[in-house]
Amino acid sequence: MTMKIANLSLLRLWARLFWTFLKVNLMTSSGPASVGLIYKEVVGKIMDEEHFVEAVGFSNVVPGSEALKLAMFIGYSAGRIGGALAALLGAILPPTVSMLIVTLAVQQFQDAPWMKGFIRGMAPALAMLVALAAWKVFYNGKRIRKRAVLLAMLCLLALFAGVMPPLVVLLAGIVGIWLFR
Amino acid sequence: MELLSLFWIFLKVNMLSISGLASIGLLHQEVVGRWVTNEQFVQAVSFASVLPGSDALQLAMFIGLQAHGMPGAMAALLGSLLPPTVLMLALVLLLYRLRREAWISRFVEGLTPAVAVLMLYVAWKLLGGASFTLDWRTLLLGLGALVAFLFNAPPPAVLIVSGLAGIFLFK
Repeated sequence: MTMKIANLSLLRLWARLFWTFLKVNLMTSSGPASVGLIYKEVVGKIMDEEHFVEAVGFSNVVPGSEALKLAMFIGYSAGRIGGALAALLGAILPPTVSMLIVTLAVQQFQDAPWMKGFIRGMAPALAMLVALAAWKVFYNGKRIRKRAVLLAMLCLLALFAGVMPPLVVLLAGIVGIWLFR
Repeated sequence: MELLSLFWIFLKVNMLSISGLASIGLLHQEVVGRWVTNEQFVQAVSFASVLPGSDALQLAMFIGLQAHGMPGAMAALLGSLLPPTVLMLALVLLLYRLRREAWISRFVEGLTPAVAVLMLYVAWKLLGGASFTLDWRTLLLGLGALVAFLFNAPPPAVLIVSGLAGIFLFK
Protein backbone atom coordinates (compact mmCIF):
# COMPACT_ATOMS: atom_id res chain seq x y z
CA MET A 1 0.00 0.00 0.00
CA THR A 2 1.30 3.40 -0.86
CA MET A 3 -0.40 6.11 1.12
CA LYS A 4 0.07 9.78 0.68
CA ILE A 5 0.74 10.68 4.26
CA ALA A 6 2.71 13.87 4.18
CA ASN A 7 5.11 13.42 7.05
CA LEU A 8 2.41 13.15 9.63
CA SER A 9 3.56 11.85 12.95
CA LEU A 10 1.55 8.93 14.28
CA LEU A 11 -0.19 10.95 16.93
CA ARG A 12 -1.18 13.67 14.51
CA LEU A 13 -2.48 11.08 12.07
CA TRP A 14 -4.68 9.55 14.76
CA ALA A 15 -5.94 12.96 15.85
CA ARG A 16 -6.72 13.76 12.24
CA LEU A 17 -8.62 10.52 11.67
CA PHE A 18 -10.58 11.02 14.89
CA TRP A 19 -11.46 14.59 14.00
CA THR A 20 -12.42 13.75 10.42
CA PHE A 21 -14.85 11.02 11.41
CA LEU A 22 -16.20 13.01 14.34
CA LYS A 23 -16.97 15.87 11.98
CA VAL A 24 -18.53 13.73 9.24
CA ASN A 25 -20.73 11.89 11.73
CA LEU A 26 -21.84 15.15 13.30
CA MET A 27 -22.85 16.61 9.97
CA THR A 28 -24.75 13.76 8.32
CA SER A 29 -27.38 11.36 9.52
CA SER A 30 -25.41 8.39 8.20
CA GLY A 31 -25.96 6.59 4.92
CA PRO A 32 -25.03 7.60 1.40
CA ALA A 33 -24.75 11.29 2.21
CA SER A 34 -21.82 10.61 4.51
CA VAL A 35 -19.87 8.85 1.76
CA GLY A 36 -19.65 12.05 -0.27
CA LEU A 37 -18.53 14.01 2.74
CA ILE A 38 -15.91 11.45 3.76
CA TYR A 39 -14.62 11.51 0.20
CA LYS A 40 -14.02 15.24 0.41
CA GLU A 41 -12.32 14.97 3.77
CA VAL A 42 -10.18 11.94 3.11
CA VAL A 43 -9.16 11.58 -0.53
CA GLY A 44 -5.88 13.30 -1.29
CA LYS A 45 -5.28 13.94 2.38
CA ILE A 46 -5.23 10.58 4.11
CA MET A 47 -5.69 8.09 1.28
CA ASP A 48 -5.81 8.01 -2.52
CA GLU A 49 -8.94 7.68 -4.61
CA GLU A 50 -8.40 4.08 -5.62
CA HIS A 51 -8.38 2.90 -2.03
CA PHE A 52 -11.41 4.99 -1.21
CA VAL A 53 -13.44 3.41 -4.00
CA GLU A 54 -12.33 0.03 -2.69
CA ALA A 55 -13.48 0.96 0.81
CA VAL A 56 -16.97 1.87 -0.42
CA GLY A 57 -17.13 -1.30 -2.50
CA PHE A 58 -16.18 -3.46 0.47
CA SER A 59 -18.63 -1.73 2.76
CA ASN A 60 -21.47 -2.74 0.44
CA VAL A 61 -20.58 -6.36 0.95
CA VAL A 62 -20.15 -6.42 4.73
CA PRO A 63 -23.20 -6.23 7.01
CA GLY A 64 -23.67 -3.52 9.65
CA SER A 65 -23.51 0.23 9.96
CA GLU A 66 -22.01 1.98 6.95
CA ALA A 67 -20.32 4.74 8.95
CA LEU A 68 -18.49 2.19 11.09
CA LYS A 69 -17.34 0.14 8.12
CA LEU A 70 -15.86 3.15 6.38
CA ALA A 71 -14.18 4.31 9.60
CA MET A 72 -12.72 0.86 10.06
CA PHE A 73 -11.41 0.53 6.53
CA ILE A 74 -10.08 4.05 6.10
CA GLY A 75 -8.67 4.22 9.62
CA TYR A 76 -6.90 0.90 9.23
CA SER A 77 -5.56 1.68 5.76
CA ALA A 78 -4.16 4.99 6.92
CA GLY A 79 -2.90 4.12 10.38
CA ARG A 80 -3.26 0.40 11.11
CA ILE A 81 -5.05 -0.61 14.33
CA GLY A 82 -4.39 2.70 16.08
CA GLY A 83 -5.81 4.58 13.12
CA ALA A 84 -8.84 2.30 12.97
CA LEU A 85 -9.59 2.84 16.66
CA ALA A 86 -9.21 6.61 16.36
CA ALA A 87 -11.55 6.74 13.36
CA LEU A 88 -14.06 4.41 15.02
CA LEU A 89 -14.13 6.48 18.19
CA GLY A 90 -14.85 9.56 16.10
CA ALA A 91 -17.69 7.75 14.30
CA ILE A 92 -19.19 6.28 17.47
CA LEU A 93 -19.32 9.35 19.72
CA PRO A 94 -21.79 11.61 17.85
CA PRO A 95 -24.67 9.12 17.41
CA THR A 96 -24.39 7.54 20.87
CA VAL A 97 -23.97 10.73 22.89
CA SER A 98 -26.71 12.61 21.02
CA MET A 99 -29.13 9.70 21.33
CA LEU A 100 -28.34 9.30 25.03
CA ILE A 101 -29.15 12.93 25.72
CA VAL A 102 -32.33 12.91 23.63
CA THR A 103 -33.58 9.66 25.15
CA LEU A 104 -33.06 10.89 28.70
CA ALA A 105 -34.65 14.25 27.89
CA VAL A 106 -37.64 12.67 26.18
CA GLN A 107 -38.36 10.33 29.07
CA GLN A 108 -39.45 13.37 31.09
CA PHE A 109 -42.18 14.14 28.58
CA GLN A 110 -43.16 10.60 27.67
CA ASP A 111 -46.74 10.99 28.86
CA ALA A 112 -47.31 14.61 27.89
CA PRO A 113 -50.23 14.95 25.43
CA TRP A 114 -48.14 16.99 22.99
CA MET A 115 -45.50 14.26 22.91
CA LYS A 116 -48.13 11.69 22.00
CA GLY A 117 -49.36 13.95 19.20
CA PHE A 118 -45.80 14.54 18.03
CA ILE A 119 -45.11 10.82 17.79
CA ARG A 120 -48.42 10.07 16.07
CA GLY A 121 -47.62 12.86 13.63
CA MET A 122 -44.14 11.53 12.90
CA ALA A 123 -45.31 7.96 12.42
CA PRO A 124 -46.90 8.34 8.95
CA ALA A 125 -43.87 10.30 7.67
CA LEU A 126 -41.56 7.66 9.09
CA ALA A 127 -43.59 4.90 7.43
CA MET A 128 -43.14 6.64 4.07
CA LEU A 129 -39.42 7.10 4.70
CA VAL A 130 -39.03 3.40 5.47
CA ALA A 131 -41.14 2.37 2.48
CA LEU A 132 -39.02 4.50 0.14
CA ALA A 133 -35.84 3.15 1.73
CA ALA A 134 -37.19 -0.36 1.12
CA TRP A 135 -37.63 0.51 -2.54
CA LYS A 136 -34.07 1.84 -2.71
CA VAL A 137 -32.75 -1.34 -1.13
CA PHE A 138 -34.64 -3.39 -3.68
CA TYR A 139 -33.96 -1.29 -6.77
CA ASN A 140 -30.36 -0.16 -6.82
CA GLY A 141 -30.66 2.03 -9.88
CA LYS A 142 -29.93 -0.64 -12.45
CA ARG A 143 -32.65 -3.01 -13.53
CA ILE A 144 -35.07 -5.18 -11.63
CA ARG A 145 -34.24 -8.83 -12.03
CA LYS A 146 -37.11 -11.28 -12.33
CA ARG A 147 -35.27 -13.52 -9.93
CA ALA A 148 -35.17 -10.80 -7.29
CA VAL A 149 -38.94 -10.31 -7.62
CA LEU A 150 -39.44 -14.06 -7.32
CA LEU A 151 -37.25 -14.14 -4.23
CA ALA A 152 -39.16 -11.21 -2.70
CA MET A 153 -42.47 -13.02 -3.24
CA LEU A 154 -41.10 -16.20 -1.71
CA CYS A 155 -39.97 -14.18 1.32
CA LEU A 156 -43.42 -12.65 1.64
CA LEU A 157 -45.00 -16.10 1.53
CA ALA A 158 -42.56 -17.41 4.12
CA LEU A 159 -43.31 -14.46 6.43
CA PHE A 160 -47.06 -14.99 6.12
CA ALA A 161 -46.51 -18.66 6.81
CA GLY A 162 -44.95 -17.65 10.11
CA VAL A 163 -41.28 -18.34 9.41
CA MET A 164 -39.02 -16.31 11.72
CA PRO A 165 -37.79 -13.14 9.95
CA PRO A 166 -34.05 -13.66 10.67
CA LEU A 167 -34.34 -17.15 9.20
CA VAL A 168 -36.10 -15.78 6.10
CA VAL A 169 -33.30 -13.26 5.54
CA LEU A 170 -30.59 -15.85 6.05
CA LEU A 171 -32.27 -18.34 3.71
CA ALA A 172 -32.78 -15.63 1.08
CA GLY A 173 -29.04 -14.93 1.19
CA ILE A 174 -28.19 -18.60 0.79
CA VAL A 175 -30.67 -18.99 -2.08
CA GLY A 176 -29.10 -15.88 -3.61
CA ILE A 177 -25.69 -17.55 -3.75
CA TRP A 178 -26.84 -19.93 -6.45
CA LEU A 179 -29.76 -17.88 -7.84
CA PHE A 180 -27.62 -14.89 -8.85
CA ARG A 181 -24.66 -16.62 -10.44
CA MET B 1 -29.61 -12.91 30.87
CA GLU B 2 -31.51 -9.84 29.68
CA LEU B 3 -28.20 -8.21 28.82
CA LEU B 4 -27.01 -11.25 26.96
CA SER B 5 -30.14 -11.44 24.84
CA LEU B 6 -29.94 -7.70 24.11
CA PHE B 7 -26.37 -8.22 22.94
CA TRP B 8 -27.35 -11.24 20.86
CA ILE B 9 -30.33 -9.57 19.20
CA PHE B 10 -28.32 -6.55 18.12
CA LEU B 11 -25.47 -8.76 16.98
CA LYS B 12 -27.89 -10.82 14.89
CA VAL B 13 -29.73 -7.85 13.43
CA ASN B 14 -26.49 -6.14 12.43
CA MET B 15 -25.12 -9.33 10.90
CA LEU B 16 -28.18 -9.70 8.68
CA SER B 17 -28.68 -6.19 7.38
CA ILE B 18 -26.68 -3.58 5.60
CA SER B 19 -26.80 -0.32 7.50
CA GLY B 20 -29.34 1.70 9.49
CA LEU B 21 -32.90 1.84 8.24
CA ALA B 22 -32.67 -1.56 6.59
CA SER B 23 -32.16 -3.19 9.98
CA ILE B 24 -35.49 -2.10 11.44
CA GLY B 25 -37.35 -4.84 9.59
CA LEU B 26 -35.71 -7.43 11.78
CA LEU B 27 -35.42 -5.23 14.83
CA HIS B 28 -39.14 -4.48 15.04
CA GLN B 29 -40.07 -8.12 15.34
CA GLU B 30 -37.43 -8.76 18.02
CA VAL B 31 -37.93 -5.84 20.37
CA VAL B 32 -41.49 -4.46 20.07
CA GLY B 33 -43.70 -5.89 22.77
CA ARG B 34 -40.70 -7.19 24.68
CA TRP B 35 -38.70 -4.09 25.58
CA VAL B 36 -40.40 -1.19 23.85
CA THR B 37 -43.91 -0.32 22.70
CA ASN B 38 -44.70 0.35 19.06
CA GLU B 39 -44.90 4.02 20.00
CA GLN B 40 -41.40 3.98 21.47
CA PHE B 41 -40.16 2.18 18.38
CA VAL B 42 -41.51 5.02 16.24
CA GLN B 43 -39.62 7.40 18.53
CA ALA B 44 -36.39 5.41 18.26
CA VAL B 45 -36.41 5.23 14.48
CA SER B 46 -37.48 8.86 14.05
CA PHE B 47 -34.83 10.19 16.39
CA ALA B 48 -32.21 8.00 14.72
CA SER B 49 -33.17 9.50 11.35
CA VAL B 50 -33.06 13.04 12.71
CA LEU B 51 -29.91 12.93 14.85
CA PRO B 52 -26.46 12.84 13.21
CA GLY B 53 -24.42 9.67 12.84
CA SER B 54 -25.00 5.95 12.49
CA ASP B 55 -28.68 4.99 12.80
CA ALA B 56 -27.79 1.48 13.91
CA LEU B 57 -25.91 2.75 16.97
CA GLN B 58 -28.71 5.16 17.83
CA LEU B 59 -31.31 2.40 17.72
CA ALA B 60 -29.09 0.28 19.96
CA MET B 61 -28.65 3.19 22.37
CA PHE B 62 -32.38 3.95 22.62
CA ILE B 63 -33.65 0.40 22.90
CA GLY B 64 -30.83 -0.68 25.20
CA LEU B 65 -31.61 2.22 27.53
CA GLN B 66 -35.35 1.48 27.57
CA ALA B 67 -34.74 -2.19 28.19
CA HIS B 68 -32.09 -2.11 30.88
CA GLY B 69 -30.69 1.35 31.50
CA MET B 70 -27.03 2.09 30.87
CA PRO B 71 -25.83 -1.56 31.03
CA GLY B 72 -28.51 -2.42 28.48
CA ALA B 73 -27.30 0.35 26.19
CA MET B 74 -23.72 -0.92 26.43
CA ALA B 75 -24.75 -4.50 25.63
CA ALA B 76 -26.82 -3.41 22.63
CA LEU B 77 -24.07 -1.08 21.39
CA LEU B 78 -21.43 -3.79 21.64
CA GLY B 79 -23.64 -6.14 19.64
CA SER B 80 -24.09 -3.51 16.93
CA LEU B 81 -20.42 -2.58 16.81
CA LEU B 82 -18.90 -6.02 16.42
CA PRO B 83 -20.25 -7.19 13.02
CA PRO B 84 -19.25 -4.17 10.91
CA THR B 85 -15.89 -3.61 12.58
CA VAL B 86 -14.67 -7.20 12.91
CA LEU B 87 -15.89 -8.26 9.47
CA MET B 88 -14.47 -5.16 7.81
CA LEU B 89 -11.13 -5.75 9.49
CA ALA B 90 -11.17 -9.38 8.37
CA LEU B 91 -12.01 -8.26 4.86
CA VAL B 92 -9.18 -5.74 4.82
CA LEU B 93 -6.71 -8.32 6.05
CA LEU B 94 -7.90 -11.20 3.88
CA LEU B 95 -9.23 -9.66 0.72
CA TYR B 96 -6.06 -7.82 -0.08
CA ARG B 97 -5.01 -11.30 -1.07
CA LEU B 98 -8.30 -12.89 -2.05
CA ARG B 99 -9.99 -9.87 -3.66
CA ARG B 100 -13.72 -9.96 -3.83
CA GLU B 101 -15.27 -13.30 -3.16
CA ALA B 102 -18.09 -13.70 -5.66
CA TRP B 103 -20.31 -15.76 -3.37
CA ILE B 104 -20.34 -13.06 -0.68
CA SER B 105 -21.77 -10.48 -3.02
CA ARG B 106 -24.34 -12.98 -4.31
CA PHE B 107 -25.31 -13.71 -0.71
CA VAL B 108 -25.87 -10.00 -0.15
CA GLU B 109 -27.82 -9.78 -3.41
CA GLY B 110 -30.06 -12.53 -2.09
CA LEU B 111 -30.51 -10.75 1.23
CA THR B 112 -31.80 -7.55 -0.30
CA PRO B 113 -35.26 -8.70 -1.51
CA ALA B 114 -35.91 -10.22 1.92
CA VAL B 115 -34.75 -7.08 3.71
CA ALA B 116 -36.89 -4.90 1.44
CA VAL B 117 -40.00 -6.99 2.09
CA LEU B 118 -39.42 -6.82 5.84
CA MET B 119 -38.98 -3.05 5.65
CA LEU B 120 -42.30 -2.66 3.83
CA TYR B 121 -43.97 -4.75 6.50
CA VAL B 122 -42.57 -2.52 9.25
CA ALA B 123 -43.51 0.62 7.31
CA TRP B 124 -47.09 -0.66 7.37
CA LYS B 125 -46.86 -1.32 11.11
CA LEU B 126 -45.48 2.14 11.78
CA LEU B 127 -48.07 3.99 9.76
CA GLY B 128 -50.54 4.48 12.58
CA GLY B 129 -48.08 4.75 15.46
CA ALA B 130 -49.18 3.14 18.73
CA SER B 131 -52.93 3.07 18.20
CA PHE B 132 -53.26 1.58 14.79
CA THR B 133 -56.07 3.60 13.33
CA LEU B 134 -55.97 4.70 9.71
CA ASP B 135 -57.96 7.89 9.94
CA TRP B 136 -57.81 10.86 7.57
CA ARG B 137 -55.13 12.62 9.61
CA THR B 138 -52.70 9.72 9.31
CA LEU B 139 -53.36 9.43 5.58
CA LEU B 140 -52.98 13.17 5.13
CA LEU B 141 -49.63 13.27 6.92
CA GLY B 142 -48.43 10.16 5.10
CA LEU B 143 -49.37 11.57 1.72
CA GLY B 144 -47.77 14.92 2.55
CA ALA B 145 -44.56 13.23 3.63
CA LEU B 146 -44.49 11.06 0.50
CA VAL B 147 -44.81 14.12 -1.74
CA ALA B 148 -42.10 15.92 0.26
CA PHE B 149 -39.72 12.95 -0.07
CA LEU B 150 -40.37 12.67 -3.80
CA PHE B 151 -39.32 16.31 -4.08
CA ASN B 152 -36.11 15.43 -2.23
CA ALA B 153 -36.90 17.24 0.99
CA PRO B 154 -34.40 16.31 3.74
CA PRO B 155 -35.87 13.47 5.87
CA PRO B 156 -35.09 15.02 9.30
CA ALA B 157 -37.02 18.17 8.38
CA VAL B 158 -39.99 16.20 7.04
CA LEU B 159 -40.17 14.07 10.19
CA ILE B 160 -40.06 17.06 12.51
CA VAL B 161 -42.63 19.06 10.55
CA SER B 162 -44.94 16.05 10.42
CA GLY B 163 -44.52 15.59 14.17
CA LEU B 164 -45.31 19.24 14.86
CA ALA B 165 -48.40 18.99 12.67
CA GLY B 166 -49.36 15.93 14.69
CA ILE B 167 -49.39 17.93 17.93
CA PHE B 168 -52.23 20.02 16.51
CA LEU B 169 -54.02 17.32 14.52
CA PHE B 170 -54.13 14.67 17.24
CA LYS B 171 -55.43 16.70 20.15
